[in-house]
Amino acid sequence: MQSSYRIVPAHEQKSASTRDTANDLGLHDTLHYGPVSLASNVKTQCAVRDRLENWDLAQDSLRLSMKRDIHGMHAPLRLLMERKLVSADHHMPALPRSNLQLDILMGRDDVLEPADVFGGMETALPLDIHKDMEKKVRL
Amino acid sequence: MEILSYLNACGGHRLLTRIPPSFDMSVPSVHLASGFDFSNQIRNNFLAERGIPLPKATSTGTTIVGCLFKDGIVLGADTRATEGDIVADKNCEKIHYITENIRCCGAGTAADTEFTTAMISSNMELHALWTGRKPRVVTAMTMLKQTLFKYQGQIGAALVLGGVDSAGPHLFTIHPHGSTDKLPFVTMGSGSLAAMAVFESGWKPNMDRAEALQLVKDAIFAGIFNDLGSGSNVDACIITATSTEMLRNVEMPNQRAEKENKYEFKRGTTAWKKEEVRSLITSEQVTLIGVGDESMDTS
Repeated sequence: MQSSYRIVPAHEQKSASTRDTANDLGLHDTLHYGPVSLASNVKTQCAVRDRLENWDLAQDSLRLSMKRDIHGMHAPLRLLMERKLVSADHHMPALPRSNLQLDILMGRDDVLEPADVFGGMETALPLDIHKDMEKKVRL
Repeated sequence: MEILSYLNACGGHRLLTRIPPSFDMSVPSVHLASGFDFSNQIRNNFLAERGIPLPKATSTGTTIVGCLFKDGIVLGADTRATEGDIVADKNCEKIHYITENIRCCGAGTAADTEFTTAMISSNMELHALWTGRKPRVVTAMTMLKQTLFKYQGQIGAALVLGGVDSAGPHLFTIHPHGSTDKLPFVTMGSGSLAAMAVFESGWKPNMDRAEALQLVKDAIFAGIFNDLGSGSNVDACIITATSTEMLRNVEMPNQRAEKENKYEFKRGTTAWKKEEVRSLITSEQVTLIGVGDESMDTS
């Protein structure tokens, strides 16, 4: 995590385009680079998406940077260590779950957000417990 | 108030999902998902680059107002909900509950105002439990403006927030991008100009309750009768230090009139040559066979 004092996330420019993968004729070189996908074709990017997905991260780095400046380097290090300890997940994967310890360390135990309300079983990806468990215990 | 929002340019639906946390144990994601689902964004951007026009934003109509008086706040709203140029709901509620002593009027996209105010209401309740005190209006205002600022105006909610707390009565407007105003009388929505004209000519400090309620009604009337996006009835809410009074449909100036004539044909208007009444019930003759003293041995 890099230190930053940004309140809102920075807007990143998307650089990928099919120009990098074109052959002599100016077409996408499928043999070299594999089939072309829409994701690499699209130049424009949605500013609000980046913003929302990096919102927590930006606010958190601001808070951690402030902690570092006020208390010294140990404060953010200690907090990050504690977060890492409590976010190690010993439970059944693929099922929605809460993590109160982590919520307290992230300072969100007294707020409700859309992610707390939505995203239950009905909107989750199809369950494949075996696959998830294999992934978790690294089989 | 508009029922349907336009699908915004990013293809961000109002479907909210949680991105499953990373299963990689070395770097667990400690951050929550954003709340919007952007799964159609790449497709929509691709179509837009090919020249397929994206849906336009529809203009929304509402009149919501609020004003200060001697003992507190009066909030007012019309009750029309539209879908484009169609009236979708003639008697909807636009004054939303935040806490016992705080209410919020919403203009803009109906679902957005309702969901945002419901979420802030929950957060205010949690905050009240957390602090053990009666929640303050500025707290709700700050929560609302921070939420709206985060979503960059993609949540189409223009709000009038009013309430009375330990620091006295407070009245705020919150714009969809998160800017706020604190004024003694405020209006929002497409009828705000008409309503503001009434306030500017009629508002004075230290009005009594009846005077303030009448002024709010007049302001909403101005919106209802001069703005096509507003209509139907008047809702009002009077908040004082001791009580909150929700006056649903306090004025109903647009009651449907009784029809002057009956437009039904008299019996016997059309002559007929013959009459045949057919019974729709089929009657069957059932002849029972082998039922008598000795029934079939089924044991």
